[in-house]
Amino acid sequence: MGFLVTSGIFLLAGIIGCLFSLLCCNRGPSTNLYVLPPPAKSPSGSTIILCGMGWAIVYLAQMKPLINPILSGE
Amino acid sequence: MPSGGGGCLPPMDLMRSEEMQLLQVIIPTESAHLAVSNLGDLGLIQFKDLNADKSPFQRTFAAQIKRTGEMARKLRFFKDQMSKAGIQASPLQSTETPLDFDDMEIKLGELEAELIEVNANDEKLQRTYNELQEYNTVLQKAGEFFYSAQRSAAAQQTELGANQSGETSLESPLLEQDVLTDASKQVKLGSLSGLVPKEKAMAFERILFRATRGNILLRQESVDELVTDPQSGEKVSKNTFVVFYSGERAKAKILKICDAFRANRYPFPEDLSKQMHTIAEVSGKIKELKATIDMGVAHRNTILKSIASDFEHWNHVTKKEKSIYHTLNMLSVDVTKKCLVGEGWSPVFATSQVQDALQRATLESKSQVGSIFQVLNTKESPPTYFQTNKFTSAFQEIVDAYGVAKYQEANPGVFTVVTFPFLFAVMFGDWGHGICLLLATLYLIIREKKFASQKLGDIMEMMFGGRYIIMMMALFSIYTGFIYNEFFSVPFELFAKSAYACRDPSCGDATTEGLIKVRPTYPFGVDPVWHGSRSELPFLNSLKMKMSILLGVSQMNLGIMMSYFNAKFFRNNVNVWCQFVPQLLFLNSLFGYLSMLIIIKWCTGSKADLYHVMIYMFLSPTDDMGENELFPHQKYVQMLLLVIALVAVPWMLFPKPLFLKNEHEKRHQGHQYTPLEGADESVEAELGHHEESNHHEEFEFSEVFVHQLIHTIEFVLGAVSNTASYLRLWALSLAHSELSTVFYDKVLLLTLGYNNVIILAIGVVIFIFATVGVLLVMETLSAFLHALRLHWVEYQNKFYEGDGYKFAPFSFALISDEEE
Repeated sequence: MGFLVTSGIFLLAGIIGCLFSLLCCNRGPSTNLYVLPPPAKSPSGSTIILCGMGWAIVYLAQMKPLINPILSGE
Repeated sequence: MPSGGGGCLPPMDLMRSEEMQLLQVIIPTESAHLAVSNLGDLGLIQFKDLNADKSPFQRTFAAQIKRTGEMARKLRFFKDQMSKAGIQASPLQSTETPLDFDDMEIKLGELEAELIEVNANDEKLQRTYNELQEYNTVLQKAGEFFYSAQRSAAAQQTELGANQSGETSLESPLLEQDVLTDASKQVKLGSLSGLVPKEKAMAFERILFRATRGNILLRQESVDELVTDPQSGEKVSKNTFVVFYSGERAKAKILKICDAFRANRYPFPEDLSKQMHTIAEVSGKIKELKATIDMGVAHRNTILKSIASDFEHWNHVTKKEKSIYHTLNMLSVDVTKKCLVGEGWSPVFATSQVQDALQRATLESKSQVGSIFQVLNTKESPPTYFQTNKFTSAFQEIVDAYGVAKYQEANPGVFTVVTFPFLFAVMFGDWGHGICLLLATLYLIIREKKFASQKLGDIMEMMFGGRYIIMMMALFSIYTGFIYNEFFSVPFELFAKSAYACRDPSCGDATTEGLIKVRPTYPFGVDPVWHGSRSELPFLNSLKMKMSILLGVSQMNLGIMMSYFNAKFFRNNVNVWCQFVPQLLFLNSLFGYLSMLIIIKWCTGSKADLYHVMIYMFLSPTDDMGENELFPHQKYVQMLLLVIALVAVPWMLFPKPLFLKNEHEKRHQGHQYTPLEGADESVEAELGHHEESNHHEEFEFSEVFVHQLIHTIEFVLGAVSNTASYLRLWALSLAHSELSTVFYDKVLLLTLGYNNVIILAIGVVIFIFATVGVLLVMETLSAFLHALRLHWVEYQNKFYEGDGYKFAPFSFALISDEEE
């Protein structure tokens, strides 16, 4: 799975989460905000953004490693 | 609302506090009580105290408050009696019929009088009963004295007869002869008997001896079981005593001493038949009394039980009445004394509800005049009211603990709901620990109803209050646990095979040169191969450090964006152009740029030294970058960014105060002549009343400028120190993973190596305790506190004023929670 594929999954999760919260538990605009980000007013959301960010950071950091794992000799 | 939508944000219920309005209600006196009661049920209006200058005794309803106070006292008395008798008040039933307050007062008075009388009787009976019990013991013990004395006398007689001729034995009394010879002119001896407390017995004996110069005979014996003292009702250990004396004066002295020592005296008939008679009489009386007392207690219990069934209801009604009268006292009486005038804050959405409540009161009290309801215009700042639910209230509390939001200010609580647990989880990333935390908090949530109704300890209360926060924290730490690939510090190859493998089949240089990447990057989280390798720490440190910077810069940018929403909402263009824009430029031209460099470095795999780049961006921006160049023309980009950052500082500092000054002067010109420059301050002060009284504000340029200066310095220095502050994310997450590795490797794996069940069991126990105590409790606490700090300081100082005050409505739902 490449970077783009997983990003796509996160985006999809955002859309689904957004729709889900809109359809199933619409408890007012700020509840949806946890899925919907305010500036874009579009799917994906604070939760998804943060989770995606956490994943992306770790993924990117490992993409072109500068150091290699050196096993401890035991 | 100043602006329709709330900046460019969609209207959100938690983002802005509820719109409030100042209401004035004029209620006819006859329906006032009912109206206030209805409003209390509604709980959406906060009355202003219009009689703040009056003392509590001068207020209109002081007498009623005294009455309710008296009733509360009676109820406390009942509660006290009930707890002494071990009777629980039955829980409040919602279907109770409404009580008339006056009837209730009379009933409470009657019950109290009855209870007091029953108690007094009971006390009297109990006292008599205890006295009789004591008498009984005295009779028994003293009877033994006399009996043994008689027996020894009889023995002496026979002995005497046997030894008549022989020499006197060693034990025989020295004065035997005299006693025998003086038997004819014997003095009549009197005796007193009773009980004396054991600790006083020695002193008692000594004093008696001294006072009578030894002319008495005292016999004491301790009573084995504890005796209930009739006076105090306490159980004490006592001695029975019998004093023999001769003469009236000695008797008087002894009586006084007995009184002084609180020795209870009881008559003791010397005659044996009389003794038997008395004993029988006393035990009969005791039995009789016992029965009476039992009857009394049963009667009292039935009274208390009937009280207990209604107690909660009465208590509730009394509290309600008390709060109603307190509220009524805040209203001012109209000059005609026919109606009460009240002012209070209420959310705009509740307008119709309030009106309805007043309407109902008018109808129910059959008042001829309706209440008058109107909205007042005021310059006062309204209270802040967020409609939170049980999920968001705990998060809102985190924000409120720092400061209550200014009226309609952007509420950091909206984002805190997600960012707070996320930052916590960055420091607490381990899905094993996350699951433990989740299970604990799920237990609290599932048994929510049960826990909510009972009283919990301090710490438990806190945990329970924050159960949803903990749940979110646990969920996010499970997620970050997967990203860090740690389950109690053990990695799993869950998502794919590790991307690394040996260079050659023999794997000879795996411990010297290291493995090489042969497969695509591990798709989700940290590659498990890093765990336990020699380069684990350098790799994870670099990763987590950069991650902290990225998250920190994002959150600070979010904070600055919030200040934009605020400025937009309050239609404050000065703040947008002279504060928000330069702040955004300054932060991003330095640290936004750094974040970008980090990402570029990751994507390109460049070996550039970011510290070096950042430092020399300031020291010698014109120098050639050399091998540190990450993208073409980087030098010029950096020079541009540096210029932007340098321009942004004076931009933040100067325009706003100047603009405000300009604005102020323009406003003044419209009204009248401005005072001459350099005019005396006293003149200005005299002219101070020139504007409407509520719009009279002195514009002090220096003050505004100093304020802006402080703000600018704070922001510029803060940009550096706050970014550095986010490194705590790295430090704590490092500490957490290292600690859990130590517990796993050095405790669990070490004991596993011994191949001994007992050692293994000990190891497991230590591991569990260390995990729960250190990682799940202490680490949770410390990560929580650090996440709290990051929100309060680094995030909220970008936009949050937090100088509002909370909406405290008059509500019956709230009073029942108080005072408990």
